[in-house]
Amino acid sequence: MEGFLQLLMLGLMEGGLYAIVAAAMVLVFKSTHVVSLAHGQIMGFGALAFWIGVVQLQLPLILALIGALGFSAAMGWLIERAAMRPLIGQPLFASFLNTFAVFLILDGIFQLILKGESYSFSAYLPKGNISWGSITFPITQLVSFLGSLLVFLGLALFYRWTKLGLGMRATAEDHQLAQSTGISVRAVFSAIWVLSSATATFAGLALANVTDIYYTLPYMGIKGLVVALVGGLESLPGALLAGLLLGVLENVSAGYLDPLVGGGVKEVAAYVLLLLVLLVKPYGLFGLVRIERI
Amino acid sequence: MWRPCGTFDETYQKDIAIVRTPLRWAVLVGSLTVTGLLPVLVPYYFVSFLNNLAITVILVMGLQIVSGYCGQISFGQAAFMAVGAYSAAIFTQKLGMSFWLALPLSGIFTGLFGLVGGAPSLRIKGFYLAVATIAVHFVTMWLILHLDVTGRSQGLTVEPPSLAGYIFDTDERMFYIIMPVMLLMTYGARNLVRTRVGRAFVAVRDNDLAAQVMGINLFYYKLLAFFISCFYAGVAGCLWAHLTLVAHFEQFTLLHALWYIGMLIVGGMGSIPGVFFGVILVRILDELVMVVSPVLAAWFPWLGSAPAAGLGVTAFGLVLAFFLIWEPRGLAHRWEILKASLRLYPFAH
Repeated sequence: MEGFLQLLMLGLMEGGLYAIVAAAMVLVFKSTHVVSLAHGQIMGFGALAFWIGVVQLQLPLILALIGALGFSAAMGWLIERAAMRPLIGQPLFASFLNTFAVFLILDGIFQLILKGESYSFSAYLPKGNISWGSITFPITQLVSFLGSLLVFLGLALFYRWTKLGLGMRATAEDHQLAQSTGISVRAVFSAIWVLSSATATFAGLALANVTDIYYTLPYMGIKGLVVALVGGLESLPGALLAGLLLGVLENVSAGYLDPLVGGGVKEVAAYVLLLLVLLVKPYGLFGLVRIERI
Repeated sequence: MWRPCGTFDETYQKDIAIVRTPLRWAVLVGSLTVTGLLPVLVPYYFVSFLNNLAITVILVMGLQIVSGYCGQISFGQAAFMAVGAYSAAIFTQKLGMSFWLALPLSGIFTGLFGLVGGAPSLRIKGFYLAVATIAVHFVTMWLILHLDVTGRSQGLTVEPPSLAGYIFDTDERMFYIIMPVMLLMTYGARNLVRTRVGRAFVAVRDNDLAAQVMGINLFYYKLLAFFISCFYAGVAGCLWAHLTLVAHFEQFTLLHALWYIGMLIVGGMGSIPGVFFGVILVRILDELVMVVSPVLAAWFPWLGSAPAAGLGVTAFGLVLAFFLIWEPRGLAHRWEILKASLRLYPFAH
């Protein structure tokens, strides 16, 4: 039982990270109806910018954070401007494939910058272990988890209370209707890429805090995509729940099944869950069910 | 169907012929003869490049059928090729079959496996299906890594194929297996897409609900598309395993699957010649990066000592974005325009 609780806690912590990666993708999909693979790379570059700020330039944490957020927001804006906007009016799948082209372009640059090394900034953040009863977990995980919950809260408040957030919700509903009520859909698209890139940077920081910056970091974006699909592509609460569910499932299944099959269950549990969920609920757990017409 | 001025079809056979004029027959026979003589004429490096190219063409041809014609985007092609390579290795090495039997059998086995991999397409489509095929890729590769029969992380070694005591153990010799198989598979695909089945695929791609209303059985045709596509992947995998003499999981990563989709986009979705254009252009680009990157590394030391991998990926991404934005119908579209203008020369229309 204690083993189970330990796995549950670790799973929840990791799930918080997955949820925030997924949140960035959900943000983009809600308003633009494009699934973005590029956010995995934005995570990587954001974390790298933070590393440069903290380790190379020895900036205070808060300044480095602002710098990293600004850098990735600019990156998101640039991607929207250069790669997404020319494809408005084309089939949505072209946009999806273009985010994948952007992923590849940035992946090459990321590899060139890293040169196979791994970079860590966790020495500059609180560390150690926290014990609570019989359960122990590293403090880095807790910081990342709480940080991602804060980001979720911020997003919820933003969508609920600000004018821009309201515009984004209207755009998510229907592009033409939103345009006719005076919302600039283009401006919303730009804003949504900036916002989601900043969110992805939080995710990248939280991930890099646990795993360090390595060339595999952007590929965590694919796992975020899986989480977003399990939760339903339009749903932020879905992303949070699916992320937590996935984190718990991965850790618990790895804890109990690894001895039986010889390890590695953790790598594949997410994908098995995705296939099962999609077979039962094709639009994810909380996704909008589309009624198709000819 | 447009044809050159002065060419008239008087019989049905002539109307449906793929090669329709004497000039084209001459070009076909001539180019086949040159292709057959290539291993004698050109250096070893070029022959191995051609082998690689031909296997990739078979693989992307399968992807073209399921994604370009039937509209079910699949990121699982690398995993399906892995299934083909491993099943071929098991057939020839563990069960002692001959290569010639294992070649179609591994195709059929991969096709059956693809029915499982393609099953989600019945319930889901679009982005959801694309990501589901990514999931299929990871689950498949995980299984390959964790089963005893596939040799886990060691992979399987393969003996070269032989025929009546003659062993196909060099690239030049394998060329004479790979090239005919590639031509045969191309011929099959070229014919398939203009039959009843091919038209059903196109209808499913353009609007699957409308296709269903017209009486096309979605269940049957989507799974058939996955079966055929995986058959191609299986044959490609079998050839690949017998060319490199090993079946190893690192040869089939998700990045490979992404490259195959990219080749399809560059070449043009929904076109058989497009497969050749895409594969050749992307492969040449790849080779070009290999040549250019040491030069760049010498000029710009901050790129590091081995920038080829990173530069290759970036160059590929740039080409892909270029095609998606400025030439979404791919090189095949340019090819059609070129053919039309040659046919009409010296007139503009």
